[in-house]
Amino acid sequence: MKTIPPPCPEPEAGPKYWRSMDQLADTPEFRQWLEREFPQGASELADPVTRRHFVKIMSASFLLAGVGLTGCRRPEEKILPFAKMPDNYVHGVSQFYATAMPTRNSAIPLVVQSDDGRPTKIEGNPQHPDSNGGTDQFAQASILNLYDPDRAIRFTGNGSTKRREEALDFLTSLSTQARANGGQRLAFLLERSSSPSRARLQRLVSERLPQAQWFVYEPVDFDIHRQAATAAFGKSVAPYFKLDEANVIVSLDCDFIGTEENSYINCRRFARRRNPEKSAGQPMSRLYAVEGLLTLTGANADHRLRIPSSAAQGFAARLASAILAQKGGGAELQGGVTKLSAALAGQDAWIAECAKDLLSADNAGKSLVLAGHRQPLAVHTLAYAINAALGNIGTTVVLHEVPESKEGNISQLAQALNGSQIDTLVILGGNPVYNAPADLAWAQAQAKAKSVVRLGYYEDESFPANGWHLPMAHYLESWGDARTADGTVVPVQPLIEPLFGGMTELEVLSRIGGLEKTSPYDVVRETYRGLGSDGEENWKKFLHDGFLAGSAAAPASVQLNGNACAAALNAAPAPQLPSRDRLEVVFHRSHSVDDGRFNNNGWLQETADPVTKLTWDNAILISPETARELGVGEYDEERRGNKVRKGLFKNQIVELELSGRKIRGPIWLQPGLAKDTVGLALGYGREKTGRIGRLDTGQPAGFNAYKLRASTADGFAVGGKITPTSETYQLANTQEHGSMEGRPIIREATKKQYDEHPEFAKNMDLSSPAHMAHIPKDETGNPKMIYPRPVYNGTHQWGMSIDLNACVGCTACMLACQSENNVPIVGKDQVTKGREMTWLRLDRYFAGSVDDPQVAYQPMLCQHCENAPCESVCPVNATVHDEEGLNLMVYNRCVGTRYCSNNCPYKVRRFNYFDYSRRPRNALYRDPFTARTDGEWELKRWFKQPERGSIPDDEWELLKLVRNPQVSVRMRGVMEKCTFCIQRIEEAKITQKVKAGPSGDVRVPDGTIKTACQQACPAEAIVFGDVSDPNSKVSQLKKQARDYAVLGFLDTRPRLTYLARVRNPNPAMPDAYKENPGTLDEYIKDGNTSPLESHAHGTVVGPGAGHGAQPATQHKAEKGAH
Amino acid sequence: MSEAAIPSSVKIQPPPAELERQPLVLNKRGLGWLSDKVAGVAEGKAPGWWWMAFIPSVLMLGIGFVCVTYLISTGVGVWGLNHPVAWAWDITNFVFWIGIGHAGTLISAILFLLRQRWRTSINRAAEAMTIFAVMCAGLFPLIHVGRAWLGWWLLPIPNSNGPIWPQFRSPLEWDVFAVSTYFTVSLLFWYMGLIPDLAVMRDRAKTTIRKFLYGLFALGWTGSNRHWSNYEKAYLLLAGLSTPLVLSVHSIVSFDFAVAQLPGWHTTIFPPYFVAGAVFSGFGMVLTLLIPVRSLCNLEEVITVRHVELMCKVTLATGSIVGYAYSMEFFIAYYGGNPYELDAFIYRATGPYWWAYWTMITCNVVLPQLFWFKKVRTNMLLVFILSITVNIGMWFERFVIIATTLAREFMPSNWGYFIPTWVDIFTFVGTFGLFLTLFLLFMRYLPMIAVSEVKGVTPQADPHHPMGGGKLGGHH
Repeated sequence: MKTIPPPCPEPEAGPKYWRSMDQLADTPEFRQWLEREFPQGASELADPVTRRHFVKIMSASFLLAGVGLTGCRRPEEKILPFAKMPDNYVHGVSQFYATAMPTRNSAIPLVVQSDDGRPTKIEGNPQHPDSNGGTDQFAQASILNLYDPDRAIRFTGNGSTKRREEALDFLTSLSTQARANGGQRLAFLLERSSSPSRARLQRLVSERLPQAQWFVYEPVDFDIHRQAATAAFGKSVAPYFKLDEANVIVSLDCDFIGTEENSYINCRRFARRRNPEKSAGQPMSRLYAVEGLLTLTGANADHRLRIPSSAAQGFAARLASAILAQKGGGAELQGGVTKLSAALAGQDAWIAECAKDLLSADNAGKSLVLAGHRQPLAVHTLAYAINAALGNIGTTVVLHEVPESKEGNISQLAQALNGSQIDTLVILGGNPVYNAPADLAWAQAQAKAKSVVRLGYYEDESFPANGWHLPMAHYLESWGDARTADGTVVPVQPLIEPLFGGMTELEVLSRIGGLEKTSPYDVVRETYRGLGSDGEENWKKFLHDGFLAGSAAAPASVQLNGNACAAALNAAPAPQLPSRDRLEVVFHRSHSVDDGRFNNNGWLQETADPVTKLTWDNAILISPETARELGVGEYDEERRGNKVRKGLFKNQIVELELSGRKIRGPIWLQPGLAKDTVGLALGYGREKTGRIGRLDTGQPAGFNAYKLRASTADGFAVGGKITPTSETYQLANTQEHGSMEGRPIIREATKKQYDEHPEFAKNMDLSSPAHMAHIPKDETGNPKMIYPRPVYNGTHQWGMSIDLNACVGCTACMLACQSENNVPIVGKDQVTKGREMTWLRLDRYFAGSVDDPQVAYQPMLCQHCENAPCESVCPVNATVHDEEGLNLMVYNRCVGTRYCSNNCPYKVRRFNYFDYSRRPRNALYRDPFTARTDGEWELKRWFKQPERGSIPDDEWELLKLVRNPQVSVRMRGVMEKCTFCIQRIEEAKITQKVKAGPSGDVRVPDGTIKTACQQACPAEAIVFGDVSDPNSKVSQLKKQARDYAVLGFLDTRPRLTYLARVRNPNPAMPDAYKENPGTLDEYIKDGNTSPLESHAHGTVVGPGAGHGAQPATQHKAEKGAH
Repeated sequence: MSEAAIPSSVKIQPPPAELERQPLVLNKRGLGWLSDKVAGVAEGKAPGWWWMAFIPSVLMLGIGFVCVTYLISTGVGVWGLNHPVAWAWDITNFVFWIGIGHAGTLISAILFLLRQRWRTSINRAAEAMTIFAVMCAGLFPLIHVGRAWLGWWLLPIPNSNGPIWPQFRSPLEWDVFAVSTYFTVSLLFWYMGLIPDLAVMRDRAKTTIRKFLYGLFALGWTGSNRHWSNYEKAYLLLAGLSTPLVLSVHSIVSFDFAVAQLPGWHTTIFPPYFVAGAVFSGFGMVLTLLIPVRSLCNLEEVITVRHVELMCKVTLATGSIVGYAYSMEFFIAYYGGNPYELDAFIYRATGPYWWAYWTMITCNVVLPQLFWFKKVRTNMLLVFILSITVNIGMWFERFVIIATTLAREFMPSNWGYFIPTWVDIFTFVGTFGLFLTLFLLFMRYLPMIAVSEVKGVTPQADPHHPMGGGKLGGHH
């Protein structure tokens, strides 16, 4: 799919895309070229056309032709035809480029789809040695930030708009001045980065400005892993966890699946060992989670110990002492261990059995203990000590050498600022005014610098009044580099020139340092040279592949330094434990907005948090038990969710006080939280944010949890106090009902049960009523159908299989679907009405006890039923089946009766109640007769440009660029739903047809087509393919015993079937499931017979239940036979 | 031959007074009086009460118009519909109005075929009510769709796009045919019956314009034997045609639900249950309309207490059928062994919509039982109140079936709740505006009682009756 390596960019002086198109278009040569009657463009375009050049021509033609405003449409050919098609350009075929999204200490390798020179869809780079092509939700959604109309689009000096040249002049003068005094009274505040180029630049600038001070701040910092490893092993090393090598995993408040860094790698490695079939030869892994909040890791754990985060050190200490007692050694740690053990009382049996499992001979060197980033150094140290004792170092925990980090922290910087030691503060990225620790009073401290130069993506809270603000380029607009978790160097390659002339960190650094080469491209190229692999061809390959092969870090051979560990433990402050009056407050990274950097990203804001299912807001999370004691909030145990009144969550607002600082926010009762623990998601309550970060009401989304967070306790703090108020606040939640009500929708068993009764999932199909007995049977013993089944005889028969055991609930698939299929966002108000448009939703059910729930996730999307209930009820034939078994939705034909949605038992169809794609969220209810947009009567606008909608110009111009041109944008009044990414299917079919030529082999090879959700899924839970090919992966999966169809008894014969979930509890554990997983217990309690009682499958099973995908192929076979 | 000349042995004795049927027109009113009385309502100056009813009705209609304009120009989202409740008030109102539209044709067709002579005083108004109710009903499917301007795609119009035809398997498509046929036949039937009376109006008209218009619509009716003979045949034919329609329309409307597979919808009991419910609500509405009308227009002698009583009995009977259906639904849910269906019914009765369910039970099953008592049946105020509760109950029946079923079916993850918005409420109010405006106009401009038919069932019209012949102004 990829094209040849893109060429190097042109010199920087060249005209810029987008902003300066007029410039380009206005050159006399170009005009002349265009105005020639027969544009013999062949001569011009005969040069090897570079991608960038092509983009320029295209953009200019957009502009001149006046069709630059047509959204995802192709350029009008009649105006500027390609006299000769540029090389590698196939009309209508997207191009793909490798790049990477830098994260704090790592990066996600990507392949980005580009259409007509604009990036439209982000995918993981499957060729990268440490990636299967999966990504996390942030990577998928990050493309929307590129087209964010609220991003910083101008240079400002002391608050007023300046030209870019003026800003550059200023940087030059700053550089001259700094170099004159060696960088005295100059400070840099950076974000974390894994970029070799930045490290190199930092070194170079330091050499020139030896007096300059360097600081790093990340509100959610994962550097503790490196710090702890460095301290424990006496060498600058960072850990890399090989979860797929571990038989037993113990998470000490470590949400490695969710909010830790590189979770997409962890998901993949974890999921590989969770499937009884996949992990053939290796036992299914077992996960013990010890945590205070309910995280995705806890949700996927086989055993979960719910203790406050502050007690995790007690757990770690006692586990360490149990392990060390067995394994010997570690005498020097004893003192610290004893001290920290006090943090947890009881749970003896839990710890003993967990330790026993870790110590089991089978698991020698195959276990893994992880500590979470919120936990203090002592817990990390203990985790390394345990891992070392268990022989895991080098097997499941690999240590990579990393450069030392010598930067100061933000507290030191604040101190320096307050001491007036700093004249010029350069902030590269980050938003410290919003997210710096509350005790630093950062806004005032920052104001003490004489001048602040800030490179920022938004003109947000940290926008400096005294100094310069430089717009930052998006990573898809920047040249850069990074290292992924395994140390592999990846390029950050632009797919588009900066839309608003933004700068990168590398450029600003090199300009301030007064380096010769300031273009980020040159900087990166230079760094690449230094990596010892130069040469134009190598460089091109590097860019083409998206990684430097063989650059992964080698495992460092290190020894645990017992004394250093002991010192770390002894230095740890005595643990504090929460109580009802001194609650523990945990500050966690948000699943939606990260630390606030994605606050203005509508896709993420509207993607429900996988645990709470809240959108558009954060809430004060507290367990139902604690809430009861405090007398706040209301929990509906039957429903397994917060009390809902007339379908609305109007939750009580409470005041939370911590060390004298107060915030107010709605309470949310979250089962699974530890007693006396409060969870606060960071990243909300932004005072200065864009249109998305403010709700339809103009209020910021959520409340700002940073206001409570002190520099000394950034993970969690004990001492919170909740005071109820009489006010309420409406929350938008996408799932009201948390209980599965005993229905066999997600089917679960334990590993042992599955081994004994592999057919358990099929046994849970609803039995037919006994009176079916007299209905005539066909040769297979199933009742003869009254109506003939539809026959599908296409070349392929598409189907999908989703492995509920692999799915961890990370939401990457939801974002991938949204991006791929132009799914609009609808806003908080519409979400409260259940009108979110997600084609793929993630259902989350709780089972078991209220306080210690078991959680199960199920991605729910169109099941592409063979007997589709939606099709027969549509009065206008707008939803029909194709011969390849796809349930098609014909938007143009749809009049919007919504009958299909009503008759869909899975409720996966979504209706455009308003013109979501063409209206701003706050104007959905405005009628066109009275409303005005941009000062013009709406009806008049509509008359002039019916497809234009009422989105303000600035938003529209960018919004239309993000849309995937392969997928039509739906108007109001039509139904939409998952298409199995039909655009991808068709593209693959066409490609195959072209390839087949006269051979006629038009069957698309298995694995060619990946749906967007499948592509993004880091856990490889989703498999799409041809079910009529018995050897395809999807057919193989559907043959597994765990395969079942949801609501199969309705004879909908879905093409999407699920693989039942298998949990792997340790029977010796005190909290071991009382034989059955919670959902299975509820199922049996609901009056069903246990699926584990052996009865042969097929005798009492309803018509077609559980055979989702087979009939079509059977029909085909029969047809062939006749 | 004079009375006295008949020998007493041959003379037929009249039945004893207590067995005498109450006459359909009281006080031995003559035929001329009937014409004056009925035509009088539509002649002369409009009375004050008429204006007091008409002006609010037109205002309500205006509100409805604003709501529909807003709805179509802005999006269906202005209603409270959501996911999963994609139908709520819209289809509830549709079924509600269609149900009301049942009594008219039942009275005019089925009762005609069954020789129920009491129908004559009420059939004209009931048929008008039917037509207006069907108009209100037809509005909802049109405006509830997401792209109302493409609603005509439901019609099987030959086209060059393939051609693409509607989906004939969809119950909504059947609705299109069922409702439009019903409307057409009802309209024809109504107009057919109006012709002799339009001629009466023409003959009595004092202004040229009235003369012209009534004359135009009376189609040159002269009352000749040939006319009457053709008329009677046509009337009988149309009655025969309409009769199956009475049963089919609501059966087909019920298929919208019965053919779907949701627990609570997917049930074979729906067609008869819906038809009974429709007749029930239709008679309820006839009572609601005629009780005030008979007293306001001084028509107590034509629309008598006996008429009201008979209608109450029909209401009682159909209400009990509906009650039986409710209990049978529960029994089947229990006995059928489908856990999803059982859950749906338990939810109806005990879930957050319990109030809607129990309002329905109270209004449709419990309160109509009062009609067992003659004292209730003959108390016009009570009957009026009960007729309104019947309609409230029947609206809730549809709401319960539609909204509560959708709010909670197979997948617990997307269970929801429906709250109406002001647009929902005022669109419904608007249809009442449309209905009442049309009905009031009908009262003012057309004979609201089938004069010629009522004359036909008076004793005077029967030459063998003691009062018949020419004696009391009857036919000569």
